[in-house]
Amino acid sequence: MKRNEFVIPMKTGIRLMFLLLFLGVTILCAQTKMSTPEAAALKATVKALSDQTETITADFVQYKRLDFLSDDIKSEGKLAFKSPSMVKWEYVKPFAYSVLFKNETLFINDNGNKSDMDMGSNKIFKQLNQLITASIKGDMFDASEFEVSYFKKDGNSEVHFNPKDKQFAEFIKSFHITFNTKGEVQEVKMIEPSDDYTQIVFSNRTTNQPLSDAVFAQ
Amino acid sequence: MRYLLSSVLLVLFVSCASYPKKNGFTASVRQPIQNPYFSDASKDYVYKANIVAFGNSFSGIFIVKKLGEDHHRIAFTTEMGNKIFDFTFQGEDFKVNHILKKMDKKILINVLKNDFRVLVKENPSMEKTFQKDSNSIYETKIGNKKYYHFLSKEKLNKVVRVGNGKEKVEFTFSEINDNIALHIQILHKNIELKISLKSI
Repeated sequence: MKRNEFVIPMKTGIRLMFLLLFLGVTILCAQTKMSTPEAAALKATVKALSDQTETITADFVQYKRLDFLSDDIKSEGKLAFKSPSMVKWEYVKPFAYSVLFKNETLFINDNGNKSDMDMGSNKIFKQLNQLITASIKGDMFDASEFEVSYFKKDGNSEVHFNPKDKQFAEFIKSFHITFNTKGEVQEVKMIEPSDDYTQIVFSNRTTNQPLSDAVFAQ
Repeated sequence: MRYLLSSVLLVLFVSCASYPKKNGFTASVRQPIQNPYFSDASKDYVYKANIVAFGNSFSGIFIVKKLGEDHHRIAFTTEMGNKIFDFTFQGEDFKVNHILKKMDKKILINVLKNDFRVLVKENPSMEKTFQKDSNSIYETKIGNKKYYHFLSKEKLNKVVRVGNGKEKVEFTFSEINDNIALHIQILHKNIELKISLKSI
């Protein structure tokens, strides 16, 4: 089945996944801007970390905030990554839905209903590839596609990525990524132009454990 | 006596075989009608949605919130939370708070507006009532369109939009539990569009 209208938000999500997979590190109270050397140190650590990351698995809890709702919409799932570019993003509660990114194709499994999308000739997909490469090399923070700013917050680091691309910015005004002191991604917040947001909090992260290809079977 | 008179009048009035009469229903006394499925302002109504439209298939999260009397907000997002559209229904007013540029087409918005208004309209204006066993049909008007609301044992389980005596759109409410329809389907008969909602 074809998926035309909704390709972009999906890819925005995928793009975000890659973004957060390769990042790592640092520091202090309330949100204060990092100095240039502090930001440089963060970037260096990220490069070192991404160079040695072959696989990642983690659980996540997602909170969707809409200003008119009484409560956030909560969902839970699992994330698996295998170098260089296989990613599976799988919701398990309260619904079964997974997105697998593999061989230039996006495979979707919606509670048993499978479909896929070839992204080889797609402009956004090409940008995504660049983003992945940049992330693996460790120069993610210098990507020309985002305005990047660095903050220290409650002992952790928070990096804000504001997309420059207008098409992209229609969906996401800013990504906020929080790292713990070990340099692991703790949470990601995708903020929409309306200020509604999606917050994804990670836990049980493991890195460089052998991951069978079966995990990434479509 | 007045009721008797009005039902007699009703029978006379609908004598030229309307949609319910073709289906074996007879005209009966008017009763007030209520669609309770999105009527609790303290609840966030959240559904997993699957949509098949014109050869495309996609899914997401469908959200309804009652904000006040005759005032609802309806939003649709991807599973990851990116907003696809966000509408406000207030009285006769309709407002697009947000819609993806790719979907920002009047014809599409009108289809969605007409469909979703039916979901949130709690007390549609009634034209006629028909009865068969423990089933009732209410001929109603929402916006400027004619609908039939089907109740079985006083529970709303189907709404049909009819044009020229033919079904155009069918809304079904099933797995009803405590005024929540756990499963809702909107099926268009004249265009390829099916929206399935499952409460989560």
